[in-house]
Amino acid sequence: MSIFTDPKLGLIPGPFHKKLEEQNRAQNWYDWAGYAGPGVLDSVEFEYFALRNQASLFDISPMHKYRLTGPDTTAMLNRLVTRDVRKISVGRVGYAVWCDEEGMIIDDGTLFHLGDNDWRLCCQEQMLTWLLDAAWGFDVSVVDETHSVAGLSLQGPTSYAVLEAAGLDVSKLKPFDLAQIEHSLMISRTGFTGDLGYELWCDWDKAEALWDRIWKGGTHQGLRAIGYEAVNLARIEAGFLTAGVDFQPVHATERLHRGQTPFELGLGRLVDFNKGHFNGRRELLSKRENPRSLLLRFDVEGFKPSEGSLIYNRRKKEVGHITSGIWSPTAKRSIALAHVRMPDAGRSSGLKAEIYTLQEGKWRTRMARLTPVTKAFFAPPRARATPPART
Amino acid sequence: MSQFDAIVVGGGVNGLIAGTLLGRRGKNVCIIEKSDRFGGMASYSVDGGPTLAHSLYNLSPRALGDIGIGIQHPVLSSKPVSTVSLSEDGRHIVFKNDGVYWSDGTKHRESDAWSDLTRQLITYGDLLRQLAEAPPPGGQKAILSRGALNEFLRLAKLGIDLKKLGKSEMRRFLQVVLSNVHDIILDDLSEGPVAGMLAADAIWGTATGPRSPGTVFNLIYRLGHGGTITQPAGGMCALTDLMVEAAQKAGCLLMPDTEVSRILLDNDAVSGVETTDGRTIAAPNVLSSLAPKLTSRMTGPSAFDIETMRRVRNIRARGTTAKVNLRLKDSSALPSLSDELAHERLIYAPSVEYVEAAFNPAKYGQMSKAPVIEAFKMQTADGASWLSTIVQYAPSDLEGGWTETAKEQLAEIAVETLSRALPGLGDQIAGKQVITPDKIESATGAPGGHWHHAEMSLDQLLTLRPTNGMSRYSMGPKGLFQCGAATHPGGDVMGLAGRNAALAALEALP
Ligand SMILES: Cc1cc2nc3c(=O)[nH]c(=O)nc-3n(C[C@H](O)[C@H](O)[C@H](O)COP(=O)(O)OP(=O)(O)OC[C@H]3O[C@@H](n4cnc5c(N)ncnc54)[C@H](O)[C@@H]3O)c2cc1C
Repeated sequence: MSIFTDPKLGLIPGPFHKKLEEQNRAQNWYDWAGYAGPGVLDSVEFEYFALRNQASLFDISPMHKYRLTGPDTTAMLNRLVTRDVRKISVGRVGYAVWCDEEGMIIDDGTLFHLGDNDWRLCCQEQMLTWLLDAAWGFDVSVVDETHSVAGLSLQGPTSYAVLEAAGLDVSKLKPFDLAQIEHSLMISRTGFTGDLGYELWCDWDKAEALWDRIWKGGTHQGLRAIGYEAVNLARIEAGFLTAGVDFQPVHATERLHRGQTPFELGLGRLVDFNKGHFNGRRELLSKRENPRSLLLRFDVEGFKPSEGSLIYNRRKKEVGHITSGIWSPTAKRSIALAHVRMPDAGRSSGLKAEIYTLQEGKWRTRMARLTPVTKAFFAPPRARATPPART
Repeated sequence: MSQFDAIVVGGGVNGLIAGTLLGRRGKNVCIIEKSDRFGGMASYSVDGGPTLAHSLYNLSPRALGDIGIGIQHPVLSSKPVSTVSLSEDGRHIVFKNDGVYWSDGTKHRESDAWSDLTRQLITYGDLLRQLAEAPPPGGQKAILSRGALNEFLRLAKLGIDLKKLGKSEMRRFLQVVLSNVHDIILDDLSEGPVAGMLAADAIWGTATGPRSPGTVFNLIYRLGHGGTITQPAGGMCALTDLMVEAAQKAGCLLMPDTEVSRILLDNDAVSGVETTDGRTIAAPNVLSSLAPKLTSRMTGPSAFDIETMRRVRNIRARGTTAKVNLRLKDSSALPSLSDELAHERLIYAPSVEYVEAAFNPAKYGQMSKAPVIEAFKMQTADGASWLSTIVQYAPSDLEGGWTETAKEQLAEIAVETLSRALPGLGDQIAGKQVITPDKIESATGAPGGHWHHAEMSLDQLLTLRPTNGMSRYSMGPKGLFQCGAATHPGGDVMGLAGRNAALAALEALP
């Protein structure tokens, strides 16, 4: 990723670090934007099943968070992102992507409409200079809240019950709603797992107290702290993209033509050509009909993880590769997100992935048939019910 | 239905030529100018005094031809002037077509070296002009930035008639064009007024000194039309009046005293303009002769990509040139100058080092205490005699601002400097006008009051002029074009920017 970490400094602790450290039996930390994030705290399997069957807590504080306020904020954002933000009302959250002048995606993220002309943008990549550039000529103030707002993702079927037990009433929140539940606590019904879940946002210095409160609420709900690996399984099942994995944020690429348009990532629904000009619009108009490749979802034959495999068409020509591929414990099949070049992406039948497996010192390759899937691999109805079940 | 096919914003030389060319190709055109007189910087004057621009050296016969003005027109047929480098000891040096002479008529020992160098630069200028007359190649697409140098070399090679130049000359051209004028001049000439004259001609209107990279380019640019200097008969306004006449003949509607406040859009296409007095004038095309920053501000930043706006706001335009017009008590001869020489182009630039030293204070927001000066003795329409001078360097960002005191100081410095070579000049002066870059900016809109609207530096030339991705005159929404000095090839009373822009617009017009 594009974040430079000072080796002398090492990874720095985030707002929940003490809490995570207490539980990090695996001592598996990874670098998330310079912060020490848990890859696994205990075992991926336990954590994943807590997420899908009970409730899970994941620290998302290292996400980049920017607060945009001022009379021109809506106009400024509408020039920044490809969708029409006027359709995201106050109290709602919207998923958005933004592009460079060539129509290549810079990053994706979530826009929190906190109040009139008051927004928060959450994303994976560092975006301050870009936002300042984007705000030039607009009456908008951009404040980097990355290190002052802490975020905690509570996901899983019992997450509503956990909040209730913690004395937090979110019964009215529909998916993508947000509410200022308490003076210094905002809760949104959002997440990166495709499941019922919430994200809790508070001041950095209130983070530990918040953790304790939720933890206590989770006592009888099977709540478990989890690391990134479990989240990653869940997000692939949900069909969500990860920057740097399933697409290359164009500002972080050094080679030419590594960027991708929203159309190439299957995000065409997020592009609104009728809202007025937005960054990259003119290029996207001409690129809309001519994607070079498409991001596709596949069921993969067999059960071996297919990440990184090359994809071949009927004539044995290499036409793409798998960006994320796992055995889905819930769907009970091997699933993958993949880039496939045109025209094979348009036909998308007869494709096979060349999967390498290593067994006790012996490499094998296997050609696994790929079956295209249009929907998410896993999308439980409980994620949408309001008020949610307590389970 | 729009009344017009195109609206031209700003009626300077480039706006007039752009509009007239379109009119002559059958388009319905309206040219809107905020001041009561057309011509922009070329014709701007205070209280009937001398205009900002006071001589022609780069006027494009091709641009003129395209608007139906013959180069033989009486206004343009006055005799070329020589350049006189003023000297403290009264031994002035005269630069003529055929060589360099002392004021007593004897040949200067560096005459041949100067002529050879000048001739060579003019050859290069001829090649550059070929590039100037064509919009830079590259199509509408943004070219990925790979540094000004490579881009320039590619273009230079492309536009050049290799056979004409020969291989070793070609190599030398590519060598010198990117270098600084100080080194190139002093390779061939010894330090002193002959070298100083070329150094001065490399820096007019720019925020550079002879040692700055790219100054050879500026000198070549100035020599792009052969280097002959003239003054239009009847003054600069006679020329701009001629252009106004051509515009009318081409059927253009001229709207003086009208200021455009907004460029209007409908669905990512231009739909017209709004004026400060609240009128809306509709047209599917707008050609703006204002610098990109003003044009984009009038259109609204929302209409442009974020990268475009970043480039636009980083265009460098720091004006460094002031006009100091000295009204003379009468038309009597200037001290220490024969009457014959008094009507030539006078410059004060005794050496390359002098020019460089004049630039130093400007780097730090100070005016030159010993400036480089160009002066013409002339008469205005009311019969008054003037010494019209261009004073370099008077930076737009003067520390403390251009207060009355600062202006008075600049005028005094100019008179003092000239008086070194023309002792007693002060006694002949009846009045002074000081027109500093801030004033030029407020009068014409040129950012920083800059001569070329945008610095002529290697990173802002050719396909990179005014910025990367904008070299084909179009900008953002459909139907929006730029046509002023900030675009390729650049400023001067030349007209190629306006002409090229009109041709680019024609390509896009139905
Ligand atoms: C001090 C000085 C001396 C110079 N001397 C010489 C010289 O001797 N010889 C030479 O060749 N060149 C000279 N130049 C350079 C030359 O004058 C310019 O490069 C050239 O005239 C630029 O022409 P233009 O049409 O691109 O822009 P401009 O002449 O700047 O024209 C822009 C026009 O737009 C108008 N305008 C601005 N805003 C609005 C608005 N909102 N609505 C409507 N109209 C608007 C302005 O009033 C102006 O008329 C000199 C420049 C300076 C500053």
